[in-house]
Amino acid sequence: MSEFGGMEELLQDFLMESNDLLSDVDNKLVELEKRPEDRALLNDIFRGFHTIKGGAGFLNVAPMVTLCHRTENLFDKLRNAELQLNPEVMDVILDATATVRDMFGTLGQGLMPKDADGGLLTTLDAVLSGRMPQAPAPQAAPAAPAAAAPAPAARQSNEPDWNTLYQAVVPAAAPDRTVVEAPAVVVAAESEPVTAVAPPRAPAPAKTTSVTKSASGGGHENTIRIDTNRLDMVLNLSGEIGLTKNRLTTLRTEILQGNNDSNTLRSLDEAISQLDLLVGDLQNAVMKTRMQPIGRLFQKYPRLARDLARQLGKDVELVLSGEETELDKTMIEDLNDPLVHLVRNAVDHGVESTAERITAGKKPQSLIQLTAEQVGDHILIEITDDGRGMNADALRRKAVEKGLIDAEAANALDEKQCLQLIFLPGFSTKDQISSVSGRGVGMDVVRTNIQKLNGRIDINSIPGEGTRISISLPLTLAILPVLVVRACNQPFAVPLAMVREIITIDPEAIQEVSGNPTIVVRDEILPLKTLAGLLGWAPTQKPGFGVLMQSAERSFILAIDSFVGRDDVVIKPLQNIRPKGVAGATLSGDGSVVLVLDMEDLLTAKDGMGGVVKTSELITI
Amino acid sequence: MADKNLRFLVVDDFSTMRRIVRNLLKELGFTNVDEAEDGQVALHKLKTQHFDFIVSDWNMPNMTGIELLKAVRADQQLKPLPFLMITAEAKRENIIEAAMAGASGYIVKPFTAATLEEKLNKIFQAINK
Repeated sequence: MSEFGGMEELLQDFLMESNDLLSDVDNKLVELEKRPEDRALLNDIFRGFHTIKGGAGFLNVAPMVTLCHRTENLFDKLRNAELQLNPEVMDVILDATATVRDMFGTLGQGLMPKDADGGLLTTLDAVLSGRMPQAPAPQAAPAAPAAAAPAPAARQSNEPDWNTLYQAVVPAAAPDRTVVEAPAVVVAAESEPVTAVAPPRAPAPAKTTSVTKSASGGGHENTIRIDTNRLDMVLNLSGEIGLTKNRLTTLRTEILQGNNDSNTLRSLDEAISQLDLLVGDLQNAVMKTRMQPIGRLFQKYPRLARDLARQLGKDVELVLSGEETELDKTMIEDLNDPLVHLVRNAVDHGVESTAERITAGKKPQSLIQLTAEQVGDHILIEITDDGRGMNADALRRKAVEKGLIDAEAANALDEKQCLQLIFLPGFSTKDQISSVSGRGVGMDVVRTNIQKLNGRIDINSIPGEGTRISISLPLTLAILPVLVVRACNQPFAVPLAMVREIITIDPEAIQEVSGNPTIVVRDEILPLKTLAGLLGWAPTQKPGFGVLMQSAERSFILAIDSFVGRDDVVIKPLQNIRPKGVAGATLSGDGSVVLVLDMEDLLTAKDGMGGVVKTSELITI
Repeated sequence: MADKNLRFLVVDDFSTMRRIVRNLLKELGFTNVDEAEDGQVALHKLKTQHFDFIVSDWNMPNMTGIELLKAVRADQQLKPLPFLMITAEAKRENIIEAAMAGASGYIVKPFTAATLEEKLNKIFQAINK
């Protein structure tokens, strides 16, 4: 049984590496459509399937071996110019690639994938034998490895060893086996000695489920690849922190013994400063181990854009840049759905059809750019298209038609605010529900997902020239920069990302607009909400300061009693209870518990009457 | 029985596969194993370090296994090294090509520790003859 000890880990490794490989293959397929004769590309794709097949063979994933084997044969013929690449062949290839990816998914859940769809295999065979998809012809595949071998003859009589070697290598390969069985036969025969793993004659799927089931563990990708240099850094730092701790222990003993002269105290100060520095470095180093290049996510999209564009009859090129930008692993996983949606939207709604583009005097092929870069302590992801742009008036009309806002509110919106309307739940500008997009469940979900990652999403659009959607994300979720404020004699932390500026509240400056207190800051009328009011508590004193907060599309002033300062905190979730508006708790420097506020949650919880206190209260308390 | 301290070089572009081969060798008691991700890297390692045995995949980018094999056999220093070729193909022409290029043995993926041991022993016997 030791033969495949560590199979679970191996499976995880295999899936991670193969997934990357398959994404690479996907992108090369998109390239291949442009340069169907490129031998280097054909070779690379061939090798991709070949490698996956090899790994799958060791893991006894027979359905994957069979499918990859045939796809590989197909590429062998393509690169040897025995077959021509045409759209039909391409469809079969893309279908096969998608099926392999599905199988990865199944394996990831610790289950043995089912055999590939019979239709797909038949079509592959048909293509292999030079016929287009029609009659089933499983026997006809000429590239079968076993079928290619006639009875070993005496052609290379000088090398007698090689016939025996050949037979040793292919023990059971009867010449007239069909291609379906050939790889499986090799698997079974070669595995025979390992009875525990692969009992001879057992049907392939059955014998491997037992192995893979134990590998199920957790559903999502729960292993991570880390550059050993980064890991070494963590090790070094923790070692150094250990040394500093020893130093502190010694100093404590000295001080406890009454030796607190200035030298000792200075050493203590030095040691603590050093510890401070080291812990900061360690936090950074640990964070870096979780960083992954965003390219692992991006590389899936050219294929997505290509498929969709083809379906819609558009000509679209998706250009990636900044793939090496690194982001926290969990964020990368959570970014996938929003980005998929944005890419689909750009292809579906953003860019025009080829005919429309020509009429508008644009170049026929539309360009969508997906970029990532680090800007300060944030990651900026932008998706830009050169399509028709968004029409503010049309958006306004649509929102009113759908009853999402009333006409009066709509007219009060400026152009920039109109663009934000697409984030409203139930908003969709397509009248027809298509399979692509247009169910109106999209953009509000996208925004919610981005906000869950403490990120912001913005839209810029110029009619006729295109649309740019920008997503700004913190580098990591593990450490959150916050502003600690006080209200009702208690400290609270608000995410620094939302803080625009801090102002003092002058009671004279508070104006009442339709019954709500507001303050004018640089010609902008901003509603004033007290933190105590938002929490539903009675204010204990007149608020002295205001924090100008900016959430997705609204700005307001959060009135508070006083400040503590800014801090980087680690949020601990509250167990079992989830008070509205509280994201979690953290410890402050003096050891007291500070609640970390979830501003969006707090605002929606109290919306309408949220934090609205009588203006008089603000002034008179 | 072969010396368990023999130094192996495992050449494959797929790291999962290198790990598999490494694990299998470990089961057979060979723990002195280094890895290379293609023929070029392998050749560089072979020329700068000492190895006793090469186990190489066939299909790799940059420099394939068969190219590596030919380069090894053309090098006066490296010439006598045992070379076990790994491949996913049981195609006759491949086996013949490997044989002509001077492979010491040939093993088809997937294989077990027992199969690997059998192949290794055959090669050791041939050397000791």
